[in-house]
Amino acid sequence: MVRASAGLVTLTPGLFRLPVGNGAAPWLLVPMDDAQSDHLKAYGLAFRLLERSGKAEWLLNYRGGAFLLPADGATSRDAALAGVTTEPLDDARVVEIRGEIQNGNMDAVPLEKAPKVAVYAPPNAAPWDDAVTMALNYAGIKFEKIWDPEVVGQGLRDYDWLHLHHEDFTGQYSKFFLNYAGAPWLTEMVEQNRTMARSLGYPSVPAEKRAVALAIGDFVERGGFLFAMCTATETLDLALAAEGVDIAAAYADGSPMDADAGARMRWERALAFQDARLELSPTTPVYSDIDGHQVNSPDRRQPLGSFTLFNFSAKIDPVATMLVQSHRQVIPDFYGLTTSFVRRRLKPNVTVLAEEAGAPWVKYIHGERGQGTWTFFGGHDPEDPQHQIGDAPTDLSLHPHSPGYRLILNNVLFPAAKKKELKT
Amino acid sequence: MPTIPLVAFLVLLGLSAVPATAGAQQATLPRAFELERRGNYEAAVQEYRGVLSAKPGDVSALLGLERVLLPLNRSVEIVPDVRAALAANPSSAALFGAALRAWGAADQPDSMRAMAERWARVAPGDEAPYREWGAAALAARQREGALLAYRLGRERLGRSDVLAAEIAQLAVSDGDYATAAREWIPAVRRLPGYRVTAVATLAHAPASRRPELLRILAAEPDFAARRLESELRVKWGDPLGGWSALESGLPQAGRQGIEALRVLVEQLRMLRTRDALLAQGRALEAIAVRLPESQAPRTRLEAAQAYSAAGEREAARRMLSGLADDRTAPGAVSSGAASALLTVLIAEGKLGEVRRRLTELRGQMSGEEHGELTRALVAAYIRGGELDRADSVLGRDSTIEGFALAGRIRLYRGDLDGAVESFKQAGPYAGDRAEATRRTVLLAILQPIEADTLAPLGAALLRLEQGDTGRAVAELEVVAGDLPAAKGGAEIRLLAGRLAAAKGDPALAERLYRLAASKEAPATAPAAELALAELMLAARRTPEAVAQLEHLILSYPESALVPQARRALDVARGAVPQT
Repeated sequence: MVRASAGLVTLTPGLFRLPVGNGAAPWLLVPMDDAQSDHLKAYGLAFRLLERSGKAEWLLNYRGGAFLLPADGATSRDAALAGVTTEPLDDARVVEIRGEIQNGNMDAVPLEKAPKVAVYAPPNAAPWDDAVTMALNYAGIKFEKIWDPEVVGQGLRDYDWLHLHHEDFTGQYSKFFLNYAGAPWLTEMVEQNRTMARSLGYPSVPAEKRAVALAIGDFVERGGFLFAMCTATETLDLALAAEGVDIAAAYADGSPMDADAGARMRWERALAFQDARLELSPTTPVYSDIDGHQVNSPDRRQPLGSFTLFNFSAKIDPVATMLVQSHRQVIPDFYGLTTSFVRRRLKPNVTVLAEEAGAPWVKYIHGERGQGTWTFFGGHDPEDPQHQIGDAPTDLSLHPHSPGYRLILNNVLFPAAKKKELKT
Repeated sequence: MPTIPLVAFLVLLGLSAVPATAGAQQATLPRAFELERRGNYEAAVQEYRGVLSAKPGDVSALLGLERVLLPLNRSVEIVPDVRAALAANPSSAALFGAALRAWGAADQPDSMRAMAERWARVAPGDEAPYREWGAAALAARQREGALLAYRLGRERLGRSDVLAAEIAQLAVSDGDYATAAREWIPAVRRLPGYRVTAVATLAHAPASRRPELLRILAAEPDFAARRLESELRVKWGDPLGGWSALESGLPQAGRQGIEALRVLVEQLRMLRTRDALLAQGRALEAIAVRLPESQAPRTRLEAAQAYSAAGEREAARRMLSGLADDRTAPGAVSSGAASALLTVLIAEGKLGEVRRRLTELRGQMSGEEHGELTRALVAAYIRGGELDRADSVLGRDSTIEGFALAGRIRLYRGDLDGAVESFKQAGPYAGDRAEATRRTVLLAILQPIEADTLAPLGAALLRLEQGDTGRAVAELEVVAGDLPAAKGGAEIRLLAGRLAAAKGDPALAERLYRLAASKEAPATAPAAELALAELMLAARRTPEAVAQLEHLILSYPESALVPQARRALDVARGAVPQT
């Protein structure tokens, strides 16, 4: 497994140069600024090159985070099929670009190995109800779907990168239990989770989900890359911190939540959050005050604004810089069961990647745990800001330039970067 | 949410009639209203309470207090004020209503019942106490309490139709559509205005429950039940059944029958199926029968048009008989009838008669209407293969529609140059969008062909116009075989392939597409490859389709079809949802 580490290697002398036809340019630049015709598929192009054991460079902050690829036949063909804009470059032009990169807040990061990607989702999850699955499918990046047996059983040892979406790791079925009682999809979800908990030998779904959360925490500790969105962010941390504490309502595990649950949480176990106030009411579809927007609580719900990506020093903070590569710095916000993260609930060592200026919450955060890293991105679907259960699926061919989806794909490609020792 | 009954608002609106002697109260009540209007509910509570302390039985102040406590989620606090108000004003219906809602908010069902009984003693024979009790119970989420209120009201008042609408709505909310149907019938009998709500609520019944509801309605003998049944049948996609249900109970004369028929016609106009048009024609005919003779022609004309659109030419002709030649009928009706009659005759293929009548009617119709009918006759001659007659009737029609028809006549005669010229003169606006698209497709086929005339191609396309697709495909293939690929051969094969696919012969379509996808015809080949890939996708031959699409994209990167091919590739690979 590729291990995450604090930094990446410095600019390499250059990519391995493949033989090309007479007179043909040896390099392809994949611009990621407004010249690009399909930003999302460009990530797939780079990923598939790595899968073919090719090498690429990610030119951070250069033309929107461009990729430099060898102009071999397979890559050129792939780009043509995917409709990804490429610009042929000769060696002289590549040298010029390297000079520009050297003199600005830019860096060139070698991409070496395609990470093995897993998406955590129940077996019957619709592929169109998870932004990451949609992005991976659209970009043509291979992944495997896993669920509780794989996580608890094999401990994710076969994967480099794991994505979580709207799973409720507190085992309370996203607190839909009361509002959607009787809905066939909820009945199926409950039955499926109860069966799984029984088959894995746990007394209740909350107990089983906490075991899954702990396995995911171990995966990060061992050097895995974790990317979570929507309610998986908040509930994963709540489950990790709830050591010996019942934070699930009686409908989920037969016993009410501990009255003093908030005071007994072990926040040092959590990845990103601390000192959150838990929602004690089983009928309020809210977990805690970690989420700034509280979309399902009519009296607390906050309107959507837009969030701004931070600028980082590409040469000093390449990881953060990779995660915010985009052709747009300000991006419209979008709801999820967990939409954002309240600043005062963040641990001090958390890196904020994007925030809503002036608001008490942030949108996109990153941190390290052990040898691994985690990234949390609030919200459900960057191109469906008001996503409701039963909405039509998002068709990404209609959003090939989506800056929100680019952030997701930055995360997929980031584990491919060659590691280096931290400079600072 | 608790509802505030109409009477409360009427009291509020009646404020201007408050006597001038209530000076101290007036000084405070307007302030309370103003605070409420501004949304300052906390202060409004104090202000209303100030009024009530001086005059506990003031209905306006009490209802105002009830309104402002609601958004503060403090409705239950009104209980002492209500007690004091009732002590001061023991027979006010508005106060009884407020009291019922207060006990409901306080979750005191026994007090609600006692209050409703007290109100009923003050107003014997009135349904209001039980209706308000039920409404207050529902607002407090006490479904059983509401049902008790309605049933007790019915028992005490001794009539089976008492509170039927309320019980029906309660049954609908429980998903008990059978009970709802049984209750709606007496409710509608008593107050026909309920029919709209009854239909709207019963229409939501799941398909499996509908036969039972129709049986319940059919068991009732009166016209109210027939109308409910009729409208529900139409809502559930059975327009002819809807017509039959209404017809079976329709009074022979009188406004009631005409009004019911008009409602049905309006409902049917929302549908565009043949059955709906036929039912519409029958309902309009029934209206015409019931109207005075002076008003009937227009409705008969509408009936004829509906029948004609439904393909019921005999019925249309029956409606039109005498109407077209009726000198006493209004001009627009007579002209419309003539037009409808000619449309029917064209559909029946009686083109000679149409031609004769058109000549006779030239002076009675507007030029535009006459021109449209003439062109319809020309189109019918073309479809019949009578190209000389079509040409003769069309004459020198210089409208864009006329040029489009002239293009078709020339094309089917094999005069390709003339056809191209006429189609270009017709431009993109003649006829509807589908016709314009067809002309564009024909132009694309004709333009690469070098020959000025090609009779076999005209004959094959005429065959297609006449609906003989199988022979048209065979003849087109023969024509294509005599032409170089880049000089029309590929385009004609592509057209033949599409026709074969539409006819349900994918093997023939595939063979023709493969021939059309010739490198010698680079303008046609991408379209043929795309059509071939779509054929493969439809047959679930996904790997072959993917390879074909990749070939298209890589071989013809400049083609305008590449984005469409990429989209098809995404769908084939499951990269985007299938829509």
